[in-house]
Amino acid sequence: MKVEFELNGKEQKFDVKPGEVLLDLLRDNGCKSVKRGCETGDCGACMVLVNGRAMTSCTLFAAQVDGKEIRTVEGMEDNLTDQLKQFMLEAGAVQCGFCTPGVLISAYSLLTHNKNPSEEEIKAALDGNLCRCTGYVKQIDAIKETADSIGGSSDGKK
Amino acid sequence: MLRNVKDYHYPGSLDEALSLDNRESRSFFIAGGTALALSDSSRPVELIDVSRLGLNDLELDRENGNLKIGASTRIQRVVESGAARSVLGGFLSESLEEIGSYPIRNAGTLGGSLVRPFPWSDIIPILSVLETEVFYYHEGNEKTRELSRLYESDFRSTLNSSIIEGVSISLPEEGNTAAKFMKFSRSEFDVASLNLACRLTVEGGYISKAKLSIGARPMTGERIPALEDNLVGKKLTEELAKKSGKEAGESAELRGDEKLGQEYREQLVKKMTEEAITEIMKEVANES
Ligand SMILES: Cc1cc2nc3c(=O)[nH]c(=O)nc-3n(C[C@H](O)[C@H](O)[C@H](O)COP(=O)(O)OP(=O)(O)OC[C@H]3O[C@@H](n4cnc5c(N)ncnc54)[C@H](O)[C@@H]3O)c2cc1C
Ligand code: FES
Ligand code: FES
Repeated sequence: MKVEFELNGKEQKFDVKPGEVLLDLLRDNGCKSVKRGCETGDCGACMVLVNGRAMTSCTLFAAQVDGKEIRTVEGMEDNLTDQLKQFMLEAGAVQCGFCTPGVLISAYSLLTHNKNPSEEEIKAALDGNLCRCTGYVKQIDAIKETADSIGGSSDGKK
Repeated sequence: MLRNVKDYHYPGSLDEALSLDNRESRSFFIAGGTALALSDSSRPVELIDVSRLGLNDLELDRENGNLKIGASTRIQRVVESGAARSVLGGFLSESLEEIGSYPIRNAGTLGGSLVRPFPWSDIIPILSVLETEVFYYHEGNEKTRELSRLYESDFRSTLNSSIIEGVSISLPEEGNTAAKFMKFSRSEFDVASLNLACRLTVEGGYISKAKLSIGARPMTGERIPALEDNLVGKKLTEELAKKSGKEAGESAELRGDEKLGQEYREQLVKKMTEEAITEIMKEVANES
């Protein structure tokens, strides 16, 4: 069957099997930032933005995103992404790096909907991302720094 | 995951969706797909996408005193909506936020949580203590049924051949009604090993309405009518909270499983019931 959606800003048509999982389709089409982890929606390694909202691509059939906008880390090239990447590096929030694309997606989704998140809100936004290396502290620091830099204060005061 | 999906349909109307479902082949409606993703089957199946049927409104109708939520509304949208936040001092949105993780709530829908709920579902106890009616479409007709009656055995086949259109939650009078949801799980990431929701209406210090629902027993959430009846007419005190905890531990049907033994569950039910009632008592006292 045919599905059509915007992938990283470009309208694309794909020929898919009715049961094809979005994770597989994206990886087969060069989006290797989308990682294969648990495949049950628990670890967040396969996270993508669907119409601007973070979702796990292993729990979505490709057919479900027909007509939608999908963004992976490959297609994130704006100031917010640059800042996030920079502060993640500076904070030491990347170790093995397997969880990093998923964390970037969650953080991006949070900061586009809430420029001024509290620490609790940052933790809640990361509750779908498993990281086996960092203990999350550096990632939370990096998101706070990014919020400060883009104009929020990350003290949660609206 | 479903490993043998033969076809995927996008019906444009409720009738078209039902007629696709009524054919010989084995089929499932699909909304967010998160529950279907957890099912592991290689039997051939067709999927019927209900997300284009316009079932995603979220409307606070103050005049008729209810909040209507379309079946395809994403759980996170409900969490974030001002309308849901206004139900019982934030009870609805705060307790729905306990479900899964942010990406799961972004994908999962309310309707998808109701037809074949997981035994550990948080949504069932949460909605059970609110006055929730479920709207469904069956054989060309729109019908309604109270949520607590949705899983009665003689209704199963009707439910399995219906499309859930949404739910309507009665807005309780604020001030003298409060509710609490509690969840016990082994880790932040894990689903509930036990969950409990309680709602009390208090008039002049005495309980006039009580609802208590316990889930992940490990069976699906269920109300405890014997305890609810016992609470009505009683003065709301810490002593009553303690006594009710004990009663809940004895009257709820609980079993052991790989997560928790039966005795552990009984102790948890006691403690969680007592705590929920005590917290409601404080909340009601603060507001009056
Ligand atoms: C990793 C993970 C963690 C989770 N954690 C929790 C948790 O902590 N607490 C909790 O309560 N739940 C949890 N869940 C369950 C989650 O809440 C449900 O999977 C979700 O709400 C189901 O909604 P959906 O739209 O994705 O359903 P789908 O997967 O699309 O459908 C589920 C079922 O409902 C049927 N269906 C869907 N829409 C309709 C309709 N309109 N009419 C009739 N039938 C319909 C489908 O045929 C299917 O049988 C978790 C799920 C995952 C994957
Ligand atoms: S691979 Fe998708 S959540 Fe783990
Ligand atoms: S950096 Fe290794 S899993 Fe997160």
